[in-house]
This record gives sequence, structure tokens and C-alpha cells, in this order.
Amino acid sequence: MRNRGDLATGYLFVLPVVVSLAVFLIGPIFYALYISFHHFSFLAPDHATWAGLGNYTKLFHDPRFLRALGNTSLYSLGVVPIQIAIALMLALIVDSKIKGKTFFRVVYFLPTVTSTVAVSVMFMYLFKNDGLVNLLLGKLGIPTFDWFNSLTFALPSVMGMAIWTTVGQFMVIYLAGLQDIPQELYEAAEVDGATPWQRLRFITWPMLKPTTFFILIMSIIGCFQVFDQMYVVSKGEGGPQDRTLSVVFYLYRSAFKDFDMGYASAMAFVLFLIILILTVIQRKFFQEETH
Amino acid sequence: MKKKNVITGILATTLAMTALVGCSSSSSSTDSQGSPSSNEKFTLRVGGWSSSPEEQKMLDTQIAGFKATHPNIDVKFEPVVGDYLQKLQPMIASKTEPDIFYLDANVAPDFMDKGVIEPIDDLAQKHNVNFGDYEDAALKAFQWNGKTYGLPKDYNTLALFYNKEMFDKAGITAPPKNWDELRADAQKLTKDGVTGFSISAELPRYQPFLVQAGGSVYADGKATLNNPANATALDFIYRDMMVKDKIAAYPKTLGVDWSGDAFANQKAAMVVEGSWLIPHMAQKAPNVKYGIAELPVKDGGKPSNMIFTVAYALSKNSKHKDDAMDLMAYLTGTEGQKVTVEGGLALPTLKAMGKEYATKYPEREAFVKGASYALPFQYGVVGTKLTDAANKAAEAIVLGAKPDGKSALDEAQSKL
Repeated sequence: MRNRGDLATGYLFVLPVVVSLAVFLIGPIFYALYISFHHFSFLAPDHATWAGLGNYTKLFHDPRFLRALGNTSLYSLGVVPIQIAIALMLALIVDSKIKGKTFFRVVYFLPTVTSTVAVSVMFMYLFKNDGLVNLLLGKLGIPTFDWFNSLTFALPSVMGMAIWTTVGQFMVIYLAGLQDIPQELYEAAEVDGATPWQRLRFITWPMLKPTTFFILIMSIIGCFQVFDQMYVVSKGEGGPQDRTLSVVFYLYRSAFKDFDMGYASAMAFVLFLIILILTVIQRKFFQEETH
Repeated sequence: MKKKNVITGILATTLAMTALVGCSSSSSSTDSQGSPSSNEKFTLRVGGWSSSPEEQKMLDTQIAGFKATHPNIDVKFEPVVGDYLQKLQPMIASKTEPDIFYLDANVAPDFMDKGVIEPIDDLAQKHNVNFGDYEDAALKAFQWNGKTYGLPKDYNTLALFYNKEMFDKAGITAPPKNWDELRADAQKLTKDGVTGFSISAELPRYQPFLVQAGGSVYADGKATLNNPANATALDFIYRDMMVKDKIAAYPKTLGVDWSGDAFANQKAAMVVEGSWLIPHMAQKAPNVKYGIAELPVKDGGKPSNMIFTVAYALSKNSKHKDDAMDLMAYLTGTEGQKVTVEGGLALPTLKAMGKEYATKYPEREAFVKGASYALPFQYGVVGTKLTDAANKAAEAIVLGAKPDGKSALDEAQSKL
């Protein structure tokens, strides 16, 4: 039974969130959309001029933006599958009947709760030219590189770092998914004489599909929005030679270093569209598979 | 536990109330606009960054000096932690920036061109500030279309730092005077894990060499990175000395962030840096004996240097422009710059104080001399993009992405 009073109380309870979302999230998003059609600088917001689609068309003729988009795509292509594979593997290990489960669970999850900046700085020390990694490689007779400062290895190094940091978070989600799978299925399969691999392939994997879908989307969104690691590793420059320049990073530079907020906003909406399209495609794909 | 909560609650309420009172008092003082001699108390906000405790102490001393003579004005320094421009821009957009704030010469053109800071010519005259007292190159960096937009607080130039012990061991008696000597000395000094010369792959380090060779990167409001004379300097430093001879290295190859650290860790025998390296050495490597010399000059070329300077700019939205001008004049005036000289982190911008600096620190005369033939680190409104492209050009040579200066600079120019 609902009466007016209850309704009012309900609205009153959600009011703080609704207001703060409207003021700090929804409002700014629409304002950013407005800005993206203008030549707009924070230094002279009163003198913004209409640009039409100018900022958007400029994007696709800007070699730096295309480079940033390329870097981001490459980064996502590398990070997402590896991340999911490792997360699943770790989840399976931690879920199995081994000793010290809790210990491993904590260890794998630890990088996730560590600040990205702290992790990046630590990796920079490990991977610098005279750092620990090169020292070890040198002892083993393997060629060494100036990892974060090499045209070839800068991006892969950041990718490795990102995988290491975020894999724990997805492991935990997989772990939850694994524990949702009814034990009867495995018992029945065992009775039918299914091998461990068959159990994984025909029970665990299909039953985890919704979890995988969720992780896939979160992972792709996270990858396309990569910023902090690259910012720290390249000292805010995106170097060497724009090799660690991501879309969000270039957006940040355009807005706050080149004083071109309109252009940066246009970039944000292109990124939004890309992520939206990818998500819609995945949704379609996964729905067809499950039905 | 309960009791503690009550106390916290009371504290929080008191704080909130003080904050409210603070707000109301500052808003009521808006009425006093344009009457600097009013006895009403108010606060002037100073925006800036704080790169070291030493620098912070200097500013505190300067502010205390001002407050002593202006009892009705409270001066509050609001340091920005992190990216200064990122914080400053929204403040300007929302008209809440401090009354006066630091402005780096490199980004000043954007601010001056867009008219977001107050021209100070008239106010300066009213408060007896004579622009002629300031170093020309430093002041010029804050002049735009015939108007002045800031008073430079201090400046820095570049010089060659050399490790005396390493020089002795290699049998070198004097710092290199020209490019040939630089190369020969670097050759001799490169041994036992030490690299002869370290310079970062950045325009604000290599530009003096480029200008010595007759080049320029910015002229008549346009980027001129592809000026044919420019390639000579990049070829000499980055292609020949770094890539071919391996007698020079840029900091990242040596596993450090900037060449100052390479110098402090004794991984490099010579580096090109500003006087900011002096306090760094005192702190990190007090036992390293080093000398400071003017930059080596190309044979037949003219000496060149760069001036890095930061000014106090006046907010357009300040409610107390007259008093803010007073504060600026004090901080950059004789009294304020005495503290700058004492601190020794940067050079004073007043010509008269420059002489005092030179007598107090005779071993640092290279910086003072350098100022006389220096160009400001400033390239109009294309500054950030030009610097970025020029830095990448040098880096491209070091990393082998481009074979020589010409191809690297041509590409850099095409990006602008």
C-alpha cells in the first residue's frame, strides 16, 4: 500500500543523488556537447564562437589524434583478451582446492587496490634503463631495452602494467561467477565421465558467459579510457614520439595545454560513440549466442 | 566514543561557522573597491606553485615583509599541487582566480592574447613602478601589443655545469669554449660508466646551440622549425655526439629524469641546466665539486642563451586591484628581491639587484652574463605546440626514428 507521504519520502531520499548527478554529471555532459560545437577556450569562455562540425572534421585530419586512436585501439586489443584469460585462470586456481587460497586471493587482488600512479612509478623504476628488470635480463644474457623509452616497447610495457594492475579485479568478478554455478552440474558431468577439461569447456565456460560479457565490456571501456598510466610513464608528454599517447591523454593535453576545450570535448564525444558502438555490437553478439 | 563524536561535531560546526564568517567579511569588503587606503581588513590571494620548501620559505618571508607595512591586508598564498594550468583555467573561467598569480612566460601569450589578465601599465605608473628597472628580456616576455601584463619575479638562464674532479682526471684544464672543444672534452670524459655530456632532447635546452648556428625557431609570429640553419645544432648534439660517438646521452638513457640528476649521480661530466641545479646539488650531492661556465659557442657564431621567467599577473576580477598592484610591486621590488638574492634559487629581475647577485655569487656569473644575450622561452600563442614538436624532433633523432636534423625538423614543422 503506497500513499502520498511514502512517495514524498521516497523522492526525498533519492533527491541528494539526483541533484548531485544532475549538477555534476548530466549537466556537464550536455554542456560539453554544446562546447564541442564551438571554438571554446577556458581562458575566454565569453568569446566562444560557433564551429559547427568543425571540431569533429578536424579530428579525422589530425595525425596526432589518429595516432592516439591507433595507440588506444592497439592497447585495448592487447590488454582485453590477455586480461580476461589471466583473470579466468587465476579465478579457477583460487577457486580450486589448494592450500592458502585466501593468501593468493589477497595477493592477486592487491595491485587493484593500489593507486595506478604508485604502480606506474614503481614500474618505471623496475623497467628503467639501469633498473632491476634490465639487470636480471643482462645477467641471463637476454638483450635489454630502455622499456618505457623505446619506440617498440613503450606501449607494450604500459599494456603489461595495466594487465598486472587490473587482473585482480576481474578475477574477483569471475570468482563470484564461478561460485554461482550449481554444483549439481559438475556432479552430473562427473557421473557421465566428463574429463576436467570437458567440464571446463562445456559447463564452466558457458555458465560464465554473462560474467564474461560483463568483464569484456568493463575491460574495453577501461582500456579506451586509459590515461593515468600513460601520463605518469611519459611525464605528461605521451612520448616517446607519441607512442604512449591515448585518446583521453590527447584530450587532456588539448584542453589544458593547447587551451582548446571545444576540440577536446569533440574528442570526448567521438570516444563515447566508439565505446557505445562497441558495447552494442557485443550485446548483439552475446545475445545471439545465449539464445 | 560518544564523547569524541560530540567534540568533533562541535569542532565541525565551529569551523563551518568561521568559514561562513570568513566569506561574509570578504564579500563586504567589496564595497571598498578602489579605495586602497581604507582601514578595513581584507585578504589578497596569491596563486602559484611551490617547487621546494626553500622556495616556499622565500615567499613566506616576502609576504611577511609586505604584511608588516600593510597591517590591514592579509596575504594568503594558495599553492597549486599538480598541474598548475589545469587548476588555473577553471578558476579564470569561473572568475575565482587569486588576485595575483604566477604566470610562466611560455604560456603568457595565450593569456595576454585572450585578454584574461589585467594590463598593468596605468596601475604601475600610479604606484611608481618603473618598468626600466627590470631586465629587458624578462619584462618583454610579459608585454603584448604595447601593453604590460605582469612583473617578472625572477628568472633563470642556462649554463654549462662541469664536474671538476672528472676534468682533472681527464687532464682538461678549462671548460670547453666552443663546439669542437665540447666534443673533444666529452670524448675524453666518457669512460668508466661516465658519459661526457648530457642534455635533454628538448627545445629549452638545445635552442641556444641552434641560434648560435644562425638558426631560429620562431619569427614574426610563425614557427620556423624548418629554417635550414636549425639542423646544424641538432645534427651536432643529437646525431653526432649522442647517436654516432656515444659521448653524450640524454637523461632517460642514463636512467634519470633530467640531466641534473645525471650530474648529481656523477653519471655525466657536463650538463646544460639553469641555476636551479645549484640547490639540487647542495642537497643531493654536496661533495661533488663542480664549476659553472658559459655555454660553448659555435666557431664563428654569436653566443646565445635562453631566459626562463615567471611573473606575477593581475587578475581581471580582483576586487582590490590597487592593493594587488602594491603587493606585486613589493614582491618584485627591491625589498622582495633582496630575499630572492639571499635564497639564491633564481636570479633577481631588477637590474640593480642583478649586480648584487653577481657580487654575492661570483662563481655564478655565467648566468648573469647569459641573460645579456638571452632570448625568452616564449613563442607567441603557438608556444606549447611548437615546443612539443621541437622536443619530438630531437627525440626522434636520439631514438633513431629520424636520421638527421633536417628530416626531423621538417616533419616537426609540418605538424604545426
